[in-house]
Amino acid sequence: MIKLTAIEKVYRTSTIETLALDNINLEIPKGEFVSIMGPSGCGKSTLLNVMGLLDNPSKGAVEIDGMEISRYSDKKLARLRNQKIGFIFQSFHLINDLSVLDNVEIPLLYRTSTGRSRRELAKEALEKVGLSNRMKHFPSQLSGGQKQRVAIARAIVGKPEIILADEPTGNLDSVMGAEILNILLQLNQEGATIAMVTHDEQMARKTNRLIRLFDGRQVS
Amino acid sequence: MTKHLLKLIWNKKRRHGLVIAEILVSFLVLFGLFSLVLYNGQNYRQPLGFRYQNTWALNLNSGSDTAALIGKVNQIVGKIRSYPEVMAASLTESNTPFSMNTSNRTMEYEGVEIVSDVFFTDFDYPKVLDINILQGRWFQKSDLTSTYRPVVLNQEAALRLFGAENPLGKVLGSGENPNRVVGVIGNFKSRGEYTPLEPAAFELGNPQEHRFSACLIQVKPGVTAEFEARMMKDLGAMAKGWNLELSYLANQRKSKNQIATVPALIFAVICGFLLLNVALGLFGVLNLNINKRRDEIGLRRALGASATGITRQFVAEMWLLTAIGVAIGLIFAVQFPILHIFDLPTSVYTAALFLALASIYALVTVCALYPSSQAAKIQPATALHEE
Ligand SMILES: Nc1ncnc2c1ncn2[C@@H]1O[C@H](COP(=O)(O)OP(=O)(O)O)[C@@H](O)[C@H]1O
Ligand SMILES: [Mg+2]
Repeated sequence: MIKLTAIEKVYRTSTIETLALDNINLEIPKGEFVSIMGPSGCGKSTLLNVMGLLDNPSKGAVEIDGMEISRYSDKKLARLRNQKIGFIFQSFHLINDLSVLDNVEIPLLYRTSTGRSRRELAKEALEKVGLSNRMKHFPSQLSGGQKQRVAIARAIVGKPEIILADEPTGNLDSVMGAEILNILLQLNQEGATIAMVTHDEQMARKTNRLIRLFDGRQVS
Repeated sequence: MTKHLLKLIWNKKRRHGLVIAEILVSFLVLFGLFSLVLYNGQNYRQPLGFRYQNTWALNLNSGSDTAALIGKVNQIVGKIRSYPEVMAASLTESNTPFSMNTSNRTMEYEGVEIVSDVFFTDFDYPKVLDINILQGRWFQKSDLTSTYRPVVLNQEAALRLFGAENPLGKVLGSGENPNRVVGVIGNFKSRGEYTPLEPAAFELGNPQEHRFSACLIQVKPGVTAEFEARMMKDLGAMAKGWNLELSYLANQRKSKNQIATVPALIFAVICGFLLLNVALGLFGVLNLNINKRRDEIGLRRALGASATGITRQFVAEMWLLTAIGVAIGLIFAVQFPILHIFDLPTSVYTAALFLALASIYALVTVCALYPSSQAAKIQPATALHEE
């Protein structure tokens, strides 16, 4: 499903050069739930961004579903992200000026769809995360756990095969965190391929595989 | 997507209030400017209807002299006509074209009343001003003894009084001394090119009985200041104590026209500054907005927006904001034709509306394009980066 070969990512600013990823080789087969751990600044987010086609690696090849994407245009990459990948972030990244339902609909706006079908799919996704009673609310009226469930609904509304979650429970207490993990496990049961960055060993143990990074390198 | 953006705008309406107000004001100001410019332009396209080049207006102010004034005026005009440099001269009142004086009167035909400029003059007026007679004739000697007072109308006066009917022979008003129309001329825009067509009527004064107060003189092209000085000296000697004042119609026309063009120009310059201000303001607000919305930009990119899609979104948002501002502006703008404020033709208002609409969209698009393209350059990974 996702295949990284000899990935290197260098961040250059005028003064410093950071090697954020160093020779990463990684294959995540369809349906696997992988967790990624490592100290802060070791390159976990960078790795997820490269897998999610949000960032180009400095070297190496990224394959999604057997397609090598290094020559893809911006438009094609955008379409691939829209159709194949759902993102979940630590700080939710909801648009505060839009209702829950409108937030969840956003991915569908970037593909051909009717207003009615968007509504249906968004409601369905919100039902799945147990928030169908909060559709008209605005993000500011929700708890952290609820916000993250909205973000998950948004990530799955377009029925992507891959879900990339960057510390999805990082801003939540353990009860809410457990809830979120359960939803992700459920989605994995239904076939989604998931890569999740986490600091929680216990959570990581519930996934199929644990990848550890240190200073941009994969250590296990 | 449009509905989505409208919701986004609606939910932020308070923050967008200022931008909408700026667009609203700009739209109205542009509407005003274009109305004025189009109105002036439309008037300008209508010819004056007479010649002003090489034409002089001489005011015959007798001052404290009271003796035999009519005779002296006739002597003066006789002298003027005797110069080989003079092609024609005509006695008239002080309301010569482009002068600051006007004279008007209500005219009535079968219940239709109009207010018309009235020019009191003699037989040579059309010769001096090179006026074309479209129907009928100008005054002739026999008119001096006819029972009806003859009147020549311009087309505008004839149209307003008689509509499509033939004006010739029509009798205006009642009473013991009514007017009869003997001729119709084309335009007669005595207030300059930028004024609309107004009714004008010409009446005959008997030079032997009427004390005219001005004389229009058509001189040959290339006549020098030396001649002007010589003529004025001759006339001064004939009319001791009189105050004879000579003006060039060409100069008077210029200052008359400036009454229309100078305010329009000042208005245009003020508009220019205002719009520049609005443009810079919009530009600044957009730049700020886009910086505040880096998160959203990163997010949308992650969810499937391409770089050009981001540009399009921001431009589209500005277009929608503009549509709101313009829609409110329209409510005000349509009052002008509906309530006939300023009395401009509806066609001018309509054209001005479309021009204002096009200009405001051009302005907004220009202001939005650069910040929006900058928004597209924001790297999604960087925008979403969290420590
Ligand atoms: N846009 C960027 N520009 C420069 N350096 C960056 C950028 N993003 C990340 N880095 C650097 O790359 C390294 C890895 O960052 P990141 O992947 O965010 O780490 P993690 O998510 O594991 O905490 C860090 O040293 C970070 O400072
Ligand atoms: Mg991180």
